[in-house]
Amino acid sequence: MNRTAGETNKKKLHSYYDYSLLFLILFMVCFGLVMIYSTSSYNAQRIYDDATHFLQRQALFGGAGILIMLFVSKIDYRIYVTNLPVIRLKPITILYILCIFLQIYVLIFGEVIKGAKRWISLGPLGNFQPSELTKIAVIIFTAYIVNIAPRKLDKFRGFLRVVLFIVPLLGLILIENFSTALVIGVIMVSICFVASKKKAYYIISGLLFGAIGAIFIFFVSYRSERITVWLNVETEEKGYQILQGLYAIGSGGIFGKGLGESMQKLGFIPESHNDMIFSVICEELGLFGAFALILLFILMIWRIFIIAINAPDLLGGLIATGVLAHIAIQVLLNIAVVTNTIPSTGIPLPFISYGGSSVMVILFEMGIVLSISNQIKGER
Amino acid sequence: MARNRTYNRRNSLLVVSIIIMAAVLLTVRLGYLMIFKSEDYAARAQALHERERAIKAERGSIYDRNGVEIATNKPVCTISVIHSQITDPERVIEVLSKELGLTEERVRKRVEKISSIERVKSNVDKEIADKIREYDLDGVMVDEDYKRYYPYGSLASKVIGFTGSDNQGIIGLEVKYDQFLKGIDGTILTLTTAYGLEIENAAEDRIEPQAGNDLHISLDVNIQEYAQQVAKKVREAKNANNVKLIVMNPQNGEIYAIVNEPEFNLNDPYTLIDEIAAEYEGETLTSEKMNQLLNGMWRNACISDTYDPGSAFKIVTATAALEEKVVKYTDTFFCPGYKKVEDRIIRCHKAGGHGSQTFVDGIKNSCNPVFMEIGARVGVDKMYTYYNLLGLFDKTGVDLPGEANSIMHKPENVGAVELATMSFGQSFQITPLQLLVAGSAIVNGGTLVTPHLGVEIRTADESVVRALDYKTTSGVISKETSEQMKELLEAVVSDGTGKRAYLPGFRVGGKTATSEKLPRRSGKYISSFIGFAPANDPQLIALVLIDEPTGIYYGGTIAAPVISELFDNILPYMGIEENYTETEKEQFNVGSFVVPDFVGKTKSEVKDILKIYEFGETYPLGEGDTVMEQFPLPGEIVEKESDLILYYN
Repeated sequence: MNRTAGETNKKKLHSYYDYSLLFLILFMVCFGLVMIYSTSSYNAQRIYDDATHFLQRQALFGGAGILIMLFVSKIDYRIYVTNLPVIRLKPITILYILCIFLQIYVLIFGEVIKGAKRWISLGPLGNFQPSELTKIAVIIFTAYIVNIAPRKLDKFRGFLRVVLFIVPLLGLILIENFSTALVIGVIMVSICFVASKKKAYYIISGLLFGAIGAIFIFFVSYRSERITVWLNVETEEKGYQILQGLYAIGSGGIFGKGLGESMQKLGFIPESHNDMIFSVICEELGLFGAFALILLFILMIWRIFIIAINAPDLLGGLIATGVLAHIAIQVLLNIAVVTNTIPSTGIPLPFISYGGSSVMVILFEMGIVLSISNQIKGER
Repeated sequence: MARNRTYNRRNSLLVVSIIIMAAVLLTVRLGYLMIFKSEDYAARAQALHERERAIKAERGSIYDRNGVEIATNKPVCTISVIHSQITDPERVIEVLSKELGLTEERVRKRVEKISSIERVKSNVDKEIADKIREYDLDGVMVDEDYKRYYPYGSLASKVIGFTGSDNQGIIGLEVKYDQFLKGIDGTILTLTTAYGLEIENAAEDRIEPQAGNDLHISLDVNIQEYAQQVAKKVREAKNANNVKLIVMNPQNGEIYAIVNEPEFNLNDPYTLIDEIAAEYEGETLTSEKMNQLLNGMWRNACISDTYDPGSAFKIVTATAALEEKVVKYTDTFFCPGYKKVEDRIIRCHKAGGHGSQTFVDGIKNSCNPVFMEIGARVGVDKMYTYYNLLGLFDKTGVDLPGEANSIMHKPENVGAVELATMSFGQSFQITPLQLLVAGSAIVNGGTLVTPHLGVEIRTADESVVRALDYKTTSGVISKETSEQMKELLEAVVSDGTGKRAYLPGFRVGGKTATSEKLPRRSGKYISSFIGFAPANDPQLIALVLIDEPTGIYYGGTIAAPVISELFDNILPYMGIEENYTETEKEQFNVGSFVVPDFVGKTKSEVKDILKIYEFGETYPLGEGDTVMEQFPLPGEIVEKESDLILYYN
């Protein structure tokens, strides 16, 4: 399908909009707010003397994020890869350069929080994490690069070409933030995978990634320590947070203690409203609640998948795939970490975990996905 | 723009399939954690959340023989503030500083401190706490607690003892009967946050505390008070170091009073009493020294300290001799003021000697050579047999902690000289209580009793948990010897060295003693007197020891009157009636008469009537000339020498 055909059809087939995905998104954001209030109220009261401190901030970012999402969903996603009129640059190029700049900036001037330099202070708005923005850039940029010459990906060199474009972003993040780099890597590989016709070299590249990962894990001291902690979570002092999470998950049982009844959130799990929020969900809502949440995520992924395969063009399909991979890898890694299935690494649960940058970026991505859905021609 | 091809869709499906597979695996993992590991993790989490808080069991009370409470618990309160709950800090500061008598800044510091809970004052009286509670201030917490309280303060302080902050006995009966008194603490299992804060409204597991049992003792508060009074009086009069006084029932070993004057305040046991503090005035005491002084202050010397019993021990020597029948009342002895034993000259207390005298006179005079002689007649082996029978080698078994034992020569080391000195109570040491127990056996017909205080353990609702019984050994000496000894010792009081213990109307027996403290020739003495009454059927036996009196130090002069004063007070209280002999009635003007009517009489008429009747003091009240009222009332029968009060118009 060529471009002109797409444009002529656009006017008469404009009506499709994935409302079920929109509903899922809104539900997730609201559920996230409920769980943030449940998990953070004790600590918020203790530290800020205001039980709703974290809830208010998250609601603010969530609300803003939803507005942005609705706005973005009405913009044709193709605009990101189209040259802007006056400056003759594509928005994605600007975003790419901006991300590189911000990543360098954060490495030099970033705020150090809990020993990691990942944040840029935005005064009263809190701290901004440029690596979150980079995720959007990587999704669109990879899709864009691949889309220019999809057939090149059939060869390994074509894949390397994509990697070459992404490496500046990935490398800058890897310095300070292994888990985000991992997420970005997975997004990139997923897009390439979907775009390529041949699979053989993925096995080779998979092995390559594995080797690089192993080097990182076993030779960078604090990561090899994480392995030790992972294997001996009950005895290692650094396993405290994970062990407390396991206590929470375990004490939830099948039906849970009831919403708001978690004991472990009362200071036993440090910052239970962040990465460990899933363990409190398990404690309060039980196996049923946790399963329902996982099901919701799968449903959401399924909706994005439907959009991806029905996207009017490869670019849309690849962007949707990138968003899908982004959400999926974060959900899976987060749950795997809190259940101590893999070594601990800091990954927030999309939509649910506390964090302004994270929720806004996710909602921005969902906006793009909705925009792709908006471009689907209503054959069905 | 490129198309979305079929293989792209297939690849997407593959990606989604992998994702779903991973999700299924994680769900399985979750299921494993939340079903199979659930119990284990839940239990461990529970253990982490639960805090055990003890609920103090109320300690049992101690009652005297008449059911008077001498050790009990007083409700006290602890006032705390919870920073996060305070709504009106200024008012809280104002009220607390006013009611608790604390400075405003001190309260302010507590109130404004950001902490979970801050104690403002503990041991607050319940009335004050109730008042604070009535203000109903947010963030102010009133916790009730018990504090051991001794209504009589210093009464029998070293006997009753006191408790520490953990409700445990520290000295005295509080230690000895701790297991009965302390009860069983309960617990509350509360849920707390990681910061140790209790979660309100959480279901609590509660194990109720079990209150301690009450101890009923043989001590009599009134007798103890009399005894303490007379001991204090003589200690002050003679400026003595201390005065020990034990009053006991010789028939069964029940102790009525144990005095170690000066006593200390049981409600404030960690403050040195003035007598000790005065010695160290101006000095800053090291904590080690302070501990040493406190331990000295708490020491129950009646059972923990030994001394040379001196002449009072002659009752043991005399008993042995009578029992062995090596002496009769009528045996005559000659005292030249000393006796030569082997190569030693051992002096009598009377320079120049008592001359020729019978055995009875020898006891009355407390003549040392007489006792050296009869001691020699009994011999070491027999003497030691009697010591043993009278319990002098063993601790008495009194139910108080820290009892000491006697310090005696080994029998194989006792030569003639040692035997001679032991016969009049020197060169060995026993505790005062041991002497009292031996004395009891001698006058009660030969039963060795175990002195004791504890009588019964009862629950709070008065049901008896355990009646305490004590070992008695009868027949340690014969009844005849006991009778003879009572007779002899009564003679000591009525007509011998103990005559200052004489009490008209009562038959008192006893023996004086003046023991020189070690080292000899230091000029430091212990004056003592052991007395019992009534002499024919002893109901009371008492021993007084005056440690280092100044001035006159003879037991007969200073210790005997203490016992007579004590007996004068407590014998009537015990229900033992005066029973005057004819000579006593005459000598002490005993008798009664009917009070005449003075009402309406003038002053001169009254004067005439008073010449006929044997009133003691007359107290006229009022300015007028005619009697309006009188006391005692006319027609009443009063004792001779009674006082008369007349009210004039």
